[in-house]
Amino acid sequence: MMSKPNTMIDRYRWYELAGIYAGVALFLGFVLAPFVEGFLVSLKPLTHLFSSPYRFWPEKASFDAYFTMWERVPLLGRYIFNSILIASVGTLIGVILITPAAYAFARFEFRGRGPLLGAFLAVNMFSGAVLLIPLFRLMRTLGLLNTYFAMIVPGVAFIIPTGIWLLRTYMLRIPQELEEAALADGASRFYTFRRVILPLAMPGISVVAIYSFLTIYAQQFIYALTFNSKTEYMPLPVGLYAFFGRQDVIWNELMAASFLGVLPVFVVFIFLQRYLVAGMTAGALKT
Amino acid sequence: MGQLTFSNLRKCFGAVEIIKGIDLDVQKGEFVVFVGPSGCGKSTLLRMLAGLEAITSGEIRIDGVTVNELPPVKRGIAMVFQSYALYPHMTVFENIAFPLRVERMREDALREKVEAAARVLQLQERLQQRPGQLSGGQRQRVAIGRAIVREPKIFLFDEPLSNLDAALRAEMRIELTKLHKRLKATMIYVTHDQVEAMTMADRIVVLNAGEIAQNGAPLELYHKPENLFVAGFIGNPKMNFLPVKCKAAGPEGMEVEYEGRAITVPVAPRPGMEGRPLTLGIRPEHIRLGGGDLAMTVTPTVIERLGASTVVYAALPGSESENYCALVDGAAPVRADEPLQTGIMAADCHLFDENGVAFERRVEMTQIDPELLAAAG
Repeated sequence: MMSKPNTMIDRYRWYELAGIYAGVALFLGFVLAPFVEGFLVSLKPLTHLFSSPYRFWPEKASFDAYFTMWERVPLLGRYIFNSILIASVGTLIGVILITPAAYAFARFEFRGRGPLLGAFLAVNMFSGAVLLIPLFRLMRTLGLLNTYFAMIVPGVAFIIPTGIWLLRTYMLRIPQELEEAALADGASRFYTFRRVILPLAMPGISVVAIYSFLTIYAQQFIYALTFNSKTEYMPLPVGLYAFFGRQDVIWNELMAASFLGVLPVFVVFIFLQRYLVAGMTAGALKT
Repeated sequence: MGQLTFSNLRKCFGAVEIIKGIDLDVQKGEFVVFVGPSGCGKSTLLRMLAGLEAITSGEIRIDGVTVNELPPVKRGIAMVFQSYALYPHMTVFENIAFPLRVERMREDALREKVEAAARVLQLQERLQQRPGQLSGGQRQRVAIGRAIVREPKIFLFDEPLSNLDAALRAEMRIELTKLHKRLKATMIYVTHDQVEAMTMADRIVVLNAGEIAQNGAPLELYHKPENLFVAGFIGNPKMNFLPVKCKAAGPEGMEVEYEGRAITVPVAPRPGMEGRPLTLGIRPEHIRLGGGDLAMTVTPTVIERLGASTVVYAALPGSESENYCALVDGAAPVRADEPLQTGIMAADCHLFDENGVAFERRVEMTQIDPELLAAAG
């Protein structure tokens, strides 16, 4: 046990603690089991995968799959690069568009502000899949099929509403007096935005960036599958189909490649989750 | 014509009129305090002067130039906000330098100015820290520093001390007064705290519901309030008001009757008021133990002993709700629920008519504070 917490509200009886940990364990079990199973599969030789009785623990564990997969699918590196490229460029565009928009929604009074914000929420009710066919026709008409553009832009479009909502809420907490003080000192609106608002909104912008990256990374599959048929532009989730052979699926290498694909997101999250949590909870603006 | 002039200034928010026609002249170098209860429009007035709030009608002139449509920086004002409005992500140096950076001042000139301001405000040691690491008083000084570096014609303060604790507030009051003496700049200061107004102002403008209730030197407001509102607002504890009836007007003043006893208040008489109800005002500190021109026996309900003085609260005979308050000596032999003989002197009394307008007291301001009268011009 850890040292006794100082505040009385953090003290629990032993059975309360047992209950809390049991609940956490159950929840984590459900969430993590597929990952554990996937990882174990990636360690097993292909021949052992369908042995019966099925063994959960690999008998001859090895990381062979992590090496052989590069030979079987030579473009794997390219797929991973594409995934990161699409998510990064999408995040960049998203943040550039969201930040000024969120500021405008937070500070300017204009006709239709409320309905527009409501409409943004409504957009979130449609999943990208519903709009896939119209989007496909649009992309075909514009001659944009089989380009990175076609995979990036729809992803960006779908993060903008949520991004604006997140950042607007954050910006509303920046005291208006700071801007009035800057105005009184002769600063223009844009100067104030750049020197005062942007630095103070940085935690909020980080949250939006992380959210955008994760969402685009996870959603690119559906756009890539529909709007792109060029092998060299494929992101990883689509590229993984290369492991589906005519007769059998190379499960261990497929799992190994999947884990490698999750890695960038994982790294991003580990490095930035501090900001994510801080940005979402903290008032952050005690002057 | 002073340096700053308001003429018939009005402000409406929708159909609600917040500022109802303000006319005011401020001389160069004056320390003017706008004081009033919350919602009286004092902050709005300051924000209109600062250029943060649009003017509905009327005119503000600074140095003879109409500034109604000018942005704040072109008006030659600098403002210190209630929350200080320091930029939390910048160092103290950058906070003070902000207005100069906006002007794109050269780095060496900028550094010199910021350091000069820091010297005046004793912030030299803090220049590289961030506002979050400073105490309330130091943050206040940084906010003032940011106003000083621009060398404005007029300084505006919007309740700058209200976030500080009582001890620090008293300290900052003295610092601000010293600063005013050193800079010799015009300062407009908004507060709801009459102690700040009385202690710092050359001139106090008392606002009530968007209008000027009275405008004058602190002691003038204390000794010669022009109406019931100012009489009740200035002074702590608040002035006592007794309902009286007018008996006669003579060369001695107005003779009034309270509970069947008569007293002649030495004020400029107005004939023809006989039989009309008036209000007699007496400050708690002017109530004496024992007797006076008008003796009253009251029964104290609550007694607050502050050491230096004692505050006695009693119910007025005839009205149970109205508190009758007396400020007496710290060691005064008073006890709750035991009848107490008090008295008031006619010369200490204020008298107001039915509309709350004061009868002018026969008090020569030069007898009270000749120096201050000369300063107020």
